[in-house]
Amino acid sequence: MYTKHLIDLKTHDIISRIKHTCIIEVKKLEINVDKLLKTIKLSAQIILENGGETYRAEETINFICKSVGVKEIDSIATPTGIYITISIDGVENNTVVKRISKRSINLAKLNRVNNISRQLTEKSITIDEAIVQLEETRDGTENNNKFYSYFYGGISAAFFTLIFGGGIFEFIISLISGIMVTITTKKIENIHSYQFYSSILAGIIIASFAILSTHFANYGNYNYVIVGGIMPQLPGLAMTNAIRDTIRGDLISGIARGAEALLVASSLAAGTGVIISIAYAIGFMPI
Amino acid sequence: MLKELILNMIYCFAATWFFALIMNSPKKVIPISSLIASIGYIVYLMCINADQVMLGFFFGTLVIAFFGEISARLIKMPATIFIFPAVVPIVPGLGLYQTMLAFVQDDIFGALEIGVTTILNIGAMAVAMALMSLVAAKIPMKYKNN
Repeated sequence: MYTKHLIDLKTHDIISRIKHTCIIEVKKLEINVDKLLKTIKLSAQIILENGGETYRAEETINFICKSVGVKEIDSIATPTGIYITISIDGVENNTVVKRISKRSINLAKLNRVNNISRQLTEKSITIDEAIVQLEETRDGTENNNKFYSYFYGGISAAFFTLIFGGGIFEFIISLISGIMVTITTKKIENIHSYQFYSSILAGIIIASFAILSTHFANYGNYNYVIVGGIMPQLPGLAMTNAIRDTIRGDLISGIARGAEALLVASSLAAGTGVIISIAYAIGFMPI
Repeated sequence: MLKELILNMIYCFAATWFFALIMNSPKKVIPISSLIASIGYIVYLMCINADQVMLGFFFGTLVIAFFGEISARLIKMPATIFIFPAVVPIVPGLGLYQTMLAFVQDDIFGALEIGVTTILNIGAMAVAMALMSLVAAKIPMKYKNN
């Protein structure tokens, strides 16, 4: 009886020791600095490139690092780049910098990065699997070049025209001009990614379609078509996000986003304004 | 009046649906964010009809952000995915266009008046979103272990 108890105690002790060493070894294996840096760099890059907020990128980095047990994390995310410094043991520092040059909006990719980082913090996938999935997400271009994706912009613009008071005629004109805008902006984005050119061209196309069609058909109101057409092109959330970031105290990213939104909105306005003033000069429409 | 409201709600639903498709929103999210958008737009229209334009922008965005945060917690996705397409119908595109039109027509004072009003309206939207995210930050997201 007594001896059996002693043996039980001993085995318990040994098992707990083995468990302890195992946990330590697992932890040591898990913190591979290069892989960890690659994971957080990729996830922050995907978030910033696809329209995520800067604080979301910083929070994702913090979550992933804290789940692995990193001691010090410092990250600065701006719309044009990220700077991350982590220190696993509090002595050695590792830094990574990533320049963000291409910015568009893709909510599906944001959602996928969110899922991957959540699974990583729950330890249901390893860091290698996470890197593979993140690279797939970054390079994925599904639903981007399909034929019917050109129609979405047109239909959206057409319904915005209806909201602002247009009729059937304006609906159809807005549909056609929206499809044309989507096709041209996608072609331009393939050449280079400056948003200035694509939005100034979008403004020109929308305004010329609206004014020419209402002039030659002698029917309808061009204002409804133009307003409905520029609604999907406006940087709506960028404007509100810029003010919200500034309120939160993220001054650099707030001002950068504000500048971007202002540039896009004013280039849209410039595109439509040029066409409208030409139309006034020629005498296509009464002042 | 009621007929106009319902028609606007349907137009808003369709416009947001296709806008979410442009933005490559996840399939599960699109109907929900369209519904949120039309509810917010109705609130906005009611305030406009009561001659409270700035309150309309504020409360419309507040309702959208509120429902966006709730559905983010129910479906376990980031709230931005719901809010981003839904807030687009409220953005004062008409105000921006009228500002530009007034500049083109050499009506500088009219342009300044409309422009300042538009910027203040965007500010009202931003304050509503900041307020809602402040409240939402106090309620942490709980993820199920799946």
